[in-house]
Amino acid sequence: MSDKIVIIDYGMGNLRSVQKAFEKVGADAIISNDHNVIQNSSKLVLPGVGAFKDAMSNLAELDLIDLLHEEVINKKKLFLGICLGMQLIARKSYEFGETEGLGWIDAEIIRFDFSDSPIELKVPHVGWNNVAYVNSSPLFENIPDNSDFYFVHSYYFASDRQYVTGITDYGVEFISSVQKKNIFATQFHPEKSQTHGLKIIENFVRLEGTSVC
Amino acid sequence: MKICTHCVMPDTKPDLHFDEEGVCDACRSQEAKNKKIDWDKRKEEFLQIINTNKKNSDYDCIIGVSGGKDSTFQVLKVKELGLNPLCICFEPTIPTEIGRKNLENLNNLGVDLIHVKRNPVVYKKLAREAIKRTGDCEWQNHLGIFTVVPHFAVKFNIPLIIWGESPQIEYGGPASSKTRNILDRQWLEEFGGLLGNRISDMIGVDGITERDLSLYMYPNDEDIHRVGVTGVFLGYYFKWDLREVLEQSSAHGFSTTVRPVETTYENFENLDCYSNHVHDYLKYVKYGFGRATDNACLDIRLGYISRESGVRLVNKYDGIPPRQAIEEYLKYTGFSRAEFNAIVDSFTNKKIFKRDEQGRFLKDIDGSLIRKEEYLVR
Amino acid sequence: MLKHRIIPCVLLKDWQLVKSIQFSSYRTIGHPIATVRVYNARNVDELIVLDIDASLNDEPINTEIITDIANECFMPLTIGGGIKSLEDVYTVLNAGADKIAINSKAITNPSFIREIATVFGSQCVVASIDIKKIDGVYRVYNKKMGIVDIDPVELACEYEAQGAGEILLTSVDRDGTTVGYDTELLQLFGNKITIPIIINGGMGNPKDSIEALLSGADALAAAYIFHFSQYTPDMIKKELAFHNFPVRLVKG
Repeated sequence: MSDKIVIIDYGMGNLRSVQKAFEKVGADAIISNDHNVIQNSSKLVLPGVGAFKDAMSNLAELDLIDLLHEEVINKKKLFLGICLGMQLIARKSYEFGETEGLGWIDAEIIRFDFSDSPIELKVPHVGWNNVAYVNSSPLFENIPDNSDFYFVHSYYFASDRQYVTGITDYGVEFISSVQKKNIFATQFHPEKSQTHGLKIIENFVRLEGTSVC
Repeated sequence: MKICTHCVMPDTKPDLHFDEEGVCDACRSQEAKNKKIDWDKRKEEFLQIINTNKKNSDYDCIIGVSGGKDSTFQVLKVKELGLNPLCICFEPTIPTEIGRKNLENLNNLGVDLIHVKRNPVVYKKLAREAIKRTGDCEWQNHLGIFTVVPHFAVKFNIPLIIWGESPQIEYGGPASSKTRNILDRQWLEEFGGLLGNRISDMIGVDGITERDLSLYMYPNDEDIHRVGVTGVFLGYYFKWDLREVLEQSSAHGFSTTVRPVETTYENFENLDCYSNHVHDYLKYVKYGFGRATDNACLDIRLGYISRESGVRLVNKYDGIPPRQAIEEYLKYTGFSRAEFNAIVDSFTNKKIFKRDEQGRFLKDIDGSLIRKEEYLVR
Repeated sequence: MLKHRIIPCVLLKDWQLVKSIQFSSYRTIGHPIATVRVYNARNVDELIVLDIDASLNDEPINTEIITDIANECFMPLTIGGGIKSLEDVYTVLNAGADKIAINSKAITNPSFIREIATVFGSQCVVASIDIKKIDGVYRVYNKKMGIVDIDPVELACEYEAQGAGEILLTSVDRDGTTVGYDTELLQLFGNKITIPIIINGGMGNPKDSIEALLSGADALAAAYIFHFSQYTPDMIKKELAFHNFPVRLVKG
């Protein structure tokens, strides 16, 4: 296993931003979808901006679904999903019909819908919003509770509370971060969240495999 | 790149405007100085200002000094008018021996001098961050000078601060700045060269606290109004000619260096601090002109040299990295040469200077950057 | 709770960052890298950079500077100016921008917004509208085309319908003047737009920000005030927080 963190390239946006953030905190991160490189990685990052359906379709085309399952679920490699990358670990999404996700956490991805609500909130949810901690997580070490992070999404992760580490309020209280053993994920973009966001990246870099499983 | 048809200032200088004849507004400003201004009237105005601000029985005014030719001249001028100034010197970043000598000389002209030796630990942290963040290694010094003098004005209850030349009148600047004869908080924020960075933006850097920075915070409005602090530019009321200023200062003990200072052909400016030469070099890499250009332009405008001579001087002296100053700077800050070079590279102008295929800047034997054809000074 | 954003909005002209005054004169802000580093240190919420060389002089988009700026930004970056094709959008996003701002092209061809939103997503499209008040009436203005005969609110609604993620509304008259935002302009929009509105032009002091939010703005763009006055983005936010507006203040 090398000491390189691999940012998975499946054609869904903003990879360089994520890589920059890792560079800023002094970590070696490469962008790749090569199977060997992924197998030799120390940790994996799945970023993403765009549609769920396209994302799953791209992952399938690149033959990454089984590989990721093997690396993350079986080999318990440390994993960080960001934004769309967090949504993909759910069981299914309701964006443009129904699409199956990676299924690592029993969750559904549903759209913000304020049509029946008295408050006029705009969709997508875009901007800085605070994450309230639910259960402690090493990902948030040294970051004050209720710090603001940058969000930009129209769909959100809905599941029971078991793996929830952070929640955010936007008309509804939705899940903004999760952790299931070696699997970490954030709905917000740490690479766009300046000081606190870079701290998240740094904390992920510092994680030791044994401390979480 | 356009170059003024009268002096040799390029249009890469921020906020410099050229008229239909291709002449820059600094040159026009200088012309106005010679022809359109009634200097007797301005002197009267100045004497009026002194009278209205006679509040303190001990001191008539307060002057920020470095011991350089300008502050020496200011002290001479002010004493000639029969005034008793309190002088404040804000310790330079990396003091030189000749700088200290000239400060002693100024003191010996017969004035009370407060030599502010600011907290060097805090100052160094500011210096290290300022160059990385703004590309100006003297950012903290500009700020220091312009805030510490008002602080003492308030503390000693001296309303009138007398600054030297008006940078905008001498070197050009936005139209609104030319008629500004008063240096106040607003002037500092707009024209003081703070590059958008404010002192409050430095809190937290390397453990710096708000308290550490009290000297660099402009005094509050209440105190300023209570004392009636106002700062005027001497250069607005008296015709400022740098060689005449040099002559008078030298006649009263001001020393120059034997050889030209690094980055230019002159031997009488910025003698008091090595960091100044690094600052001038950074200006060159950012905008494509340095102190040699500044000096040549002033000499042309004042009629001491021709434009052709100016072009020759600029091509010979501008842009050569100041070896000694950089050595001293590295010793002072603790940056490695590689760190320093990386900082300089990040601010170097990609439009003006040539690079290789890997994007690295090309350098000449003496270490200076190589200008692209269309950016040569002619 | 979602926070109101303070967004510096600056222009790229001749490899320098500048600020315009009523779209007619320019003042230098400084070197792009220095400026972005200062903004980073100030923890601003986002940054908008509009390349006016590309926009007004039809020069190619300056991808080098954009890449340099993006490399220093760890907050959302919007780049605009001269974006005329999907390829331009791809170029800008690839250089590191998170969002693109379009103006001129969308006026003559609003469906261009739909094209971009379909391929790249609505969240990366900021539709930019410049507005001038002529004889008491608000008109859409474009520096190249002059006054455009479309109602500003209608145009904004069209952009929203085509899939824009946000609207950047700039008052030409207030631009660089520090006399306060045009709240009357904001009130025109009322509830007609459901996507976020970023108001730009005129912020002079912290109180202006309160009036703008009360008039319907979702986020506040400014630049002149941050470079040529003693006010910092943090001071604006502290004033807003004092009046119970949700803003992001960075602690620890």
